[in-house]
Parts: sequence; structure tokens; C-alpha cells
Amino acid sequence: MTAAHDLAAPSVPLLELRRLTVRYGAITALRGVDLSLQQGELVTLLGANGAGKSTTLRAISQLVRASAGSIHWRGADLAGRRPEATVKLGIGHCPEGRRVLARQSVASNLELGAWLRRDKAGIAADLERCYQLFPRLAERQRQLAGSLSGGEQQMLAIARSLMARPSLLLLDEPSLGLAPKLVAEVMGTLAELHRDGLTMLLVEQNANAALAIADRGLVLEAGAVRLAGTAQELLANAELRASYLGDGEGSGP
Amino acid sequence: MDLIQLLLNGLSLGAVYALFALGYTLVFSVLGVINFSHGAVFTLGAYFTYLLIGGQAGANGLLAGLQLPFALPFALALPLAGLASALVALLIERVAFRPLRRRGADSLLALISSLGAGVILVNLIQLLMGAESYAIPIGTLGALPAALSLGGAQVRTVQVLLLAISVLLLVVLSVWLEGSRSGKALQAVSEDPVTAQLLGIDSDAMIRLAFGISGFLAGVSGGLVGLSVSIAGPYFGISYGLKALGVLVLGGLGSVPGAMLGGLIIGLAEAFVPAAWSGWKDAVAYGFLFLILVLRPQGLLGKPQTTKV
Ligand SMILES: Nc1ncnc2c1ncn2[C@@H]1O[C@H](COP(=O)(O)OP(=O)(O)OP(=O)(O)O)[C@@H](O)[C@H]1O
Ligand SMILES: [Mg+2]
Repeated sequence: MTAAHDLAAPSVPLLELRRLTVRYGAITALRGVDLSLQQGELVTLLGANGAGKSTTLRAISQLVRASAGSIHWRGADLAGRRPEATVKLGIGHCPEGRRVLARQSVASNLELGAWLRRDKAGIAADLERCYQLFPRLAERQRQLAGSLSGGEQQMLAIARSLMARPSLLLLDEPSLGLAPKLVAEVMGTLAELHRDGLTMLLVEQNANAALAIADRGLVLEAGAVRLAGTAQELLANAELRASYLGDGEGSGP
Repeated sequence: MDLIQLLLNGLSLGAVYALFALGYTLVFSVLGVINFSHGAVFTLGAYFTYLLIGGQAGANGLLAGLQLPFALPFALALPLAGLASALVALLIERVAFRPLRRRGADSLLALISSLGAGVILVNLIQLLMGAESYAIPIGTLGALPAALSLGGAQVRTVQVLLLAISVLLLVVLSVWLEGSRSGKALQAVSEDPVTAQLLGIDSDAMIRLAFGISGFLAGVSGGLVGLSVSIAGPYFGISYGLKALGVLVLGGLGSVPGAMLGGLIIGLAEAFVPAAWSGWKDAVAYGFLFLILVLRPQGLLGKPQTTKV
């Protein structure tokens, strides 16, 4: 590490997106998104279907290329890296739609979550911790992941992304398709991870639940940041209440 | 011919088909493409083995009269030939698959380019070694007798060896695939390449691993068949390759136990064709294949639906 880097370190955000633009052929999914995350923050990314939330996470993980703008990780540009390399750098990504390895057991899925690690003792300890967080997974270790219920698969997906011991965890709609009680459970787990110091970028449709545990939030609309603020500010924002938080039905424009 | 020898013939032939088919399966599972150069690598493995045991190149190729300055026992020559074949398979991956993959080309194109690579390889063998046949003498097995007595019947040692080595490799491979970290990672790439990337698995490395192992299997089975029935010329891998392709489809594309079961069925079916009908061997084998596929299009152990990019 260079001296300049060390001097800059305190002010450099963990992750910083500058004017990020992503195109899929003729479709522009993101148009100049700015976003920065400090160590230890839980930031939620809200927005309607097709707003570009998943695309933002996919761009950070280098699954899609930025057409313009940049993504910096601890001050270094991520452009041109392979997705596997971002995992090595400490960026975990729990993708949209769970994507557990259906043909492998729960235990194998978790084991592969720690693919890049070699510290056997640390892996075993983290596995224990995952089973503590999600006792249901512990009961189903030998079961094929494809035979788990949707909620259990979601827990497995989250647990698996924790097994890499990421510095930043990108979560794409972890509450999707879960019963209200399970949503509360998953959000509780995320809040607990947040208290332990994990930095998270949480994409959610369930704005109430996400803002209840987040420090800050951003609302994307048609690929651009429409609103940004602390969780309290957003919870109090009339416009947001009308369009995303489920009250004021029919009072929208 | 008595029953035990017949059974052994069928089993050992089936085991070779299974090894061959497993090579196809490994590559297919990570790439979703049949690697048509696989048969050529099998042929090459037989020639490598022949040269490593101190065999001399015939008079008709560019290498006429060439002989290595050493002669290895078969037990050493075979794994070395397997390794050399693995290197060739990696080279094929590099020139015939990777450039197309980088450009996101349709998998049909990779199939054609692998076919091309195979044809070039076979022609190269013919150019260097001529079209003649070569035999790997039984003497290279060392002190082993030519025949063993098994349950009162006399059977060829070579056949027993072929069966034992193939079964050993099949078992090792299945255990590795199901039980080891890297085996599971390879299966992860096969099931969902994007998720595998998000776990930090380098899919290119897994693809190279699949090619390396499949090349090794092809080379070893080539050497074994060369020992068992001699090397009939540069094209001798083709009929085995096609048969193994049938085995693959029969067992179910992408299924490892399926490849083994398919190999067994085709091998036994062929072995039990009466000697008087020996010209009909292939027709019987493919007839079987046709029949089973009509009844069960996904193959015997194939998954009902294949999700492949
Ligand atoms: N692979 C793709 N090819 C073409 N267009 C795409 C692709 N992926 C996403 N898009 C488009 O990009 C826009 C943003 O998609 P994205 O998946 O980021 O939305 P999202 O905010 O995650 O939506 P949702 O809440 O439904 O998951 C959409 O208009 C979508 O149609
Ligand atoms: Mg999405």
C-alpha cells in the first residue's frame, strides 16, 4: 500500500459509484447514478420494478459493464475486473431470485460460499454461526437445496453469501416471496449483521421493512436517483409514502 | 467362446465406452457443448502409449523409423500418455473453444470448431506416423501372464486389466466430483455459471480442469484399447468416439452414472452378438440405442429438463 493511499484512507468510502451509466443494447438501465457507502453502513436501494436496482448491484459485481462513469472499491477502480475478482476483494452478492445450487446439498452450498477461503478453522466457525442464525438450515444440512421451500432457499442464499466473509454484502430483494413473519425474521438477521459491523447495500421492494433497519436510503426511478436521505427522512417523505410505502393509495399524481 | 470371457469382453468394452463418454460429459456439463475432438485425443493417447513403450514409427510417415531413446514399461507409459493427452486437450480448449466463448458465439460453432480440431489432429497423426496399424506387445506388461484363470475359465489378462483400470478411474472420478471441493465447484459451474462466479469460482479454471481430466481419460482409454486390440490406424478412435456419443445420449446427457450405465449396456450388447453375426455388431449397438431413446428420450438417467445456457 502506498503512503498516499494510507493518508487518503480515512476519507475514502468503501464503495463509490460516480455517474454510473449502464446500457443493455438500446435500453439504458442506469443514467448517471452516484452512490457512496462508508464502512459499516447499511444503505437501502428502493424503486419500482425496472428502476435499475438489480442492474446497480450487477454492475458493482462486474456482471455487467459500465458504459460510462466508474465504480471505486477502497479507492481503486473496479473497471475491467472479472466477477470472481470482486468476490476476492470482499464484495459479496446475494443475487435476485436466490439462485441456490439446487442439485447440491445445503452443506455443499455453504461450503462453496467459502470457495476462496483457505482458513479451515475460520470456515468451520462461520458455518456454525450460519447454522445459529438459521437453525432451519442446520436441520436440513444433507438435503438438496432444490428441495427447500422458497423461504429456506432465501436463508441459504444469505447464509452462503456470508460464508465468504465479505466486507460488503449486496443483497437483492432478500424478502421477495417470503411470508410476513419470515420477512421480519430476515430483516432481524440483517439488522444483527449490521450491528456486528457488516457493510450492506440492500435492494428492496418492501420499503417499510428496509428503512426500518437502514441508516440511509436511495430511491431509483428510471435509472436515476430520485430521492436520497437518511432512513428517517425517507420514512417521513410524503412523496415516497404515496408511491412506495403503501399508504395514500389513489392520492398519487 | 465361454460365457465368462464373453461377459468380460462386454464389461471391459463397456468400461472403455463409459470412460470415453465421461470425458464428453465433463466438458458438456461445464460448456453445454459436445467436444468432437475427444475421439482424436483418444487416438493420440494410443499412439503416445505406443511410442513411450519404445515402439518404432512405421515407414510411411514423416517420423519414419523414429524411436524414443528409452522404452518404458506399460504401467508408466499409460499415465504419461494420459498426461500428454491432457495437455493436448488443454491446447484444443485454448484454440478451438476459448476464442469462441470470449466472443459469446453460439455453442454450435464450438461443436464445429472442435470437430475441425479433431480432424486436424487425426490428419497430423497420419502425416507423422502413416496409416499403418501398430500393436502394443503384451510383453510390456512385465511379468504378468497372458491369460488368467477366473472361475475355472481362462481369460485374457489384458481384458481384466482394462476393466480394472477403467472401473478404478470411474470410481475415483465420481468420488472426486461428489465429494471434493473442486468437484463441487465444477458442478456449480455446470448448474449455474453466473452464481458460480458470484461465489468466486473461476469458471475458466473449471473449464480447463474439465478438459484436462477428459483428455487424461481419453488418452488412458486409448492406450488401454491399443493394448487390447491394437491400434488400427489414425482413424481408429472415430468408431469408439461415435459409440461413446451414443452411450452418452443413452445414459442421459450430463449424467455421470448414466454414462457408466450406458457404457455397460452397449458394451454387453455388442459382446453378446454371436460370432457368426459379427458384421452386425454396430447395428445391434445402435439398434439398442434407438430403441431406448424412443422409449425414454431424456436417456436412462437423464434429468427430465436440461437447463443450459
Ligand atoms: N439482460 C437485460 N437485457 C436487456 N434489458 C435488461 C436486462 N436486464 C435488465 N434490463 C432492463 O433494465 C432495466 C432495469 O432492470 P433491473 O433488473 O435493474 O430492474 P430492477 O430495479 O431490479 O427491477 P425489479 O424490481 O423488477 O427486480 C429494466 O428496464 C429491464 O428491462
Ligand atoms: Mg431486480
